[in-house]
Amino acid sequence: MSHKFNRFLSALFCIFLGGMLVLSTVLPDKEFSPMENRYLAKPPKLSVQSLSEGTFMSEAEKYVSDHLAGRDLWVSLKTWCERLSGKQENNGVYFGSRDTLLTRVDAPDPEKLAQDMLSVDKLVSNVDVPVWFGLIPSSAAVWSDRLPKGAPTLDEFPLIQQLYSQTAAQTIDFSSALSAHADEDIYYRTDHHWTSLGAFYGANALFEAMELDPLDLNDFEKTTVTEDFNGTTFSTSGVRWVKPDAIDTYVPEDGIKVTNNFDGTFTPGSLYVPEHLEQKDKYKFFLGGNQPLCIIETEHTDAPKVLVIRDSYSDSLAPFLTQRFSQIHLFDLRYNLNSVQKYVEENDIDQVVVLYSLNNFLTDSHLKQLGR
Amino acid sequence: MVFSTPLFMFYFLALTLLVYYLVPRKLRNLVVLCSSLFFYYWGEREYVIIMFLSTAIDFTHGLMVEHFKKKDNDKAARRVVAASIIFNLALLGYFKYWDFLAASLQSIGLDFMPVLGIHLPIGISFYTFQTMSYTIDVYRGDARAQRSILNFGTFVTLFPQLIAGPIIKYKDLGDQIDQRTTNADKFSSGVQIFMVGLGKKLLLANNVGMLWDSYKAMALTELTVAGSWLGVIAFSLQLYFDFSGYSDMAVGLGRMLGFEFLPNFNYPYISKSITEFWRRWHISLSTWFREYLYIPLGGNRCSKSRWMFNLFVVWAATGIWHGASWNYLIWGLYFFVLLMIEKFFLLDKLQKAPALVAHLYTLFFVAISWAIFALEDFSHMAGYLKVMFGLGGVPLTDSAFGYYLTSYLPILLIAGAASTPLGAKVYRGLKPRAQQVVCTLLVIAGLLVCTAYVVASTYNPFLYFRF
Repeated sequence: MSHKFNRFLSALFCIFLGGMLVLSTVLPDKEFSPMENRYLAKPPKLSVQSLSEGTFMSEAEKYVSDHLAGRDLWVSLKTWCERLSGKQENNGVYFGSRDTLLTRVDAPDPEKLAQDMLSVDKLVSNVDVPVWFGLIPSSAAVWSDRLPKGAPTLDEFPLIQQLYSQTAAQTIDFSSALSAHADEDIYYRTDHHWTSLGAFYGANALFEAMELDPLDLNDFEKTTVTEDFNGTTFSTSGVRWVKPDAIDTYVPEDGIKVTNNFDGTFTPGSLYVPEHLEQKDKYKFFLGGNQPLCIIETEHTDAPKVLVIRDSYSDSLAPFLTQRFSQIHLFDLRYNLNSVQKYVEENDIDQVVVLYSLNNFLTDSHLKQLGR
Repeated sequence: MVFSTPLFMFYFLALTLLVYYLVPRKLRNLVVLCSSLFFYYWGEREYVIIMFLSTAIDFTHGLMVEHFKKKDNDKAARRVVAASIIFNLALLGYFKYWDFLAASLQSIGLDFMPVLGIHLPIGISFYTFQTMSYTIDVYRGDARAQRSILNFGTFVTLFPQLIAGPIIKYKDLGDQIDQRTTNADKFSSGVQIFMVGLGKKLLLANNVGMLWDSYKAMALTELTVAGSWLGVIAFSLQLYFDFSGYSDMAVGLGRMLGFEFLPNFNYPYISKSITEFWRRWHISLSTWFREYLYIPLGGNRCSKSRWMFNLFVVWAATGIWHGASWNYLIWGLYFFVLLMIEKFFLLDKLQKAPALVAHLYTLFFVAISWAIFALEDFSHMAGYLKVMFGLGGVPLTDSAFGYYLTSYLPILLIAGAASTPLGAKVYRGLKPRAQQVVCTLLVIAGLLVCTAYVVASTYNPFLYFRF
C-alpha cells in the first residue's frame, strides 16, 4: 500500500471517530426516545461515592450510548443488516409474514406459575362473589401461520387449557374466540396488544362465559382515530420496514363517566384520550394508560358491577364492557397494593375477572397479591 | 471497558489517540500509562492497586536480578526470580483459584478454607503471566532490566492487550517500550487489523453466539441430535471469532500506538491434527507455557515417562488457566490424551491420510472439546455429549432446528469461510489499486455496520472475561 493511501485511510478512521465524538457532544441531548419509548439516560454525577461504587462508570456508559449521534439510525441499520443476513428475528421479535411483528413467548418458570395459580384460587376462596379467570393468547399463537417456519415460541393453547383445568375459578375461552377470527385484524401488527376488534371478540367470550347477552358488531360504527401507530414490537424489534397500524374505536363515549386514579387522587378521565395519539405510545389512547385504579360508570345502573384485575389488554376491552355492566373497576396489581378481597367487599362488587394476556401472566411478579 | 462499546471507540480511543499524537514524543509512554490505568480503573476500580503493586514489585525484582547477575551471584538471582514467580502465582492463585479450591474441598467435607466470594479482577490471568515472564527474561539474559518504572508500568498496563491478551513476553516488547516509531503506514495497517477484529467480534462472534445461547439454554429433552451439533458448531465459531477478534483489535490498537505484537491466531480451524491446531490457536499462551514451563521442566530431552509427565503438567495448567472450574481441567487433559495419541502413532498416519479425513478428524475432536469447555455443569455436559452422539433419546431433528438453520445459515457460511485464509488470499491476489479500493470500501462499511451493532447491541458479553 502506498504511503499516500495509508495517510488517507488513517485520516478516514480518525475523522470518523472524531466526528462521532464531536457530533455526539455538540448536538443537544434528547430527553426522551420515542422510538424506544423511554427516557434517555441523564449525564452521570461525579462524586467520590459514585466513583467508588462504580455507578458513575455504568451511568456514563449508558449516557454515552443513549446520546450517540444518530442513535435511531444506527439501530435501524443494524436491524436491516440482520434481515439481510437471513435473520428472522431481532430482540425476541419475529419478522412475520404480512408485515406482522410477533413477540416470542418463552417457557414459564413452573414454580412461579404454580404459586400464581394458588393465588388465583386463594382469591376465589377469599371473596363471596364469582371469580372468572381469563388468559389471552398472544398474536404469535393466534397468528402462528404468520410466524417464520419453525420459529420457536411457547405452545400457548395447551398451556392455557391446562391452567384452566387446574383453577377453582370459572374460565373464559379467549383462545377459541380469537382463533375463530384469526383472519381478521384482531391484533396489531406492530404491537403486542389486541385491537379493538380483537377486544370485541374477547368481550363476547367474556359475556358468553358469564351468560350475558353478546354484542353485535353491526350495532357499532367503526371510527379510525389514527393510521400511524407504531407499537411496542416495532420499538423492540428495531424493524423500520413495516407499515404502521391503525387504531379503531367502536363504542361511543356518551353517558360514560371515567374516574382515573394515577397517583392516589381521583381525577376525571375518559374512555379515549386523544392527546396520546400525538405521542409515540398511542395505545395509551385507551383510558390514558396504566394506572393503579380506574373506575368506569355507565348508564346501565341495574347491571352488575365488575372488578377486573387488569393488564393493559383491558384498556381496549373496557369500552365493550360498558355495554353490560354498571361499573367497571380496573385494578392493577402492579401499582395497587390494596387488598383485592377488601376492595370487593367495600365496593359491592358482583363479579371479579382476573384478566391477563398469557405472556404477562407468566412473567408478572405481582400475582401473589391476588390472595391478599 | 470493552473495546466494542461506544464509550471506548468514540471517547476513550478517540481522545487517547488525539493526546498521544499531540504531546512531545518523550511523554508518549506517560500518556499510554495514564490512559491504560484509567482504562483499568474504569472497569475494576480499586483493583487497579494490583496494577501498581505488580508494577512496583516486578520492577524492583527485575533490577535485583540484574544486580545479582552482574555480581555473578547466581544463587541470589535465582532466589529473586523465585520470589517474583511466587508473588505472581500467589496473586493469581488467591484471586482466581481460592474460591474454587475452597468450594471443591468443602464438597468433599474439608472446610478449613472458607469460600470468600472473591472478585476476579479482569485480565489478571494475562498480566500476571506477562510480569512473570519479565523477571525470567532478565534472569535468562533475554532482556535487560527496565530502568524506568514509568516504562515498566507501560508494559504491565498496556491497554490494548490488558484484558484479553495476547500475552506479551517482555523480551518481545521491551525495546519497543523504550523506543518505537509511529507513522501513517503503521497506523493504517493498525486500522485495518482493528477493523477486522471489530468485525469478527461484533458481526460474527456475537451473531453465532446468539445461536449457541439458544441451544445452551435448552433443556436436554428439548435438544435434537442435529441441533446439539449446530449449537456446538456455533460455539466453536463464536469462541474463535470472539477471541481472535479481541486479539486482532489488540494488535491493531497496538500498531496505532506504534507497537508490534505477535499474532495470536493463525487459522486454527484449517489444522490437520490436534498438534497443528495448538500451534495455530492462542499462540501466545502455548508459547508462554512452552518457554516458561515445559522447557524448564525438561521438555522432551529426558526419559519418556518424564516427558509424558511434563506434557501432563503443561496441559493440566493450560486447562485450569482457562478458568477455575473442573471442566477446564478436563478440557486440558482431554487435549493431553489426544496429543499423546498423536505423538505416539496417529500423527504419521494423519500425514498419509487424505486431507479431508485429517481436517474432519481435527474439527470433530475440537468441537467435542468445546462442548466440554462451554458447559461447566457436569450433568448437563454429559447429557449434551450424549445427545450429540445420539444417545440422548431425543429426535434427530425438529422444526426449531430448521428455523435456526435457515436463520443462521448465511452467517455460519460466512464465518466458516472467514475461518480459512481464502479471503486473505483473494485480497492479496488483487492489483494494488484494486486492493486500495476494496480496503477503503471494507473499512467504511465496517465502520458503519460495526457502529450500528455497537449502538444497537446490549448483547456484549466478552467470553474471555472469566480467564
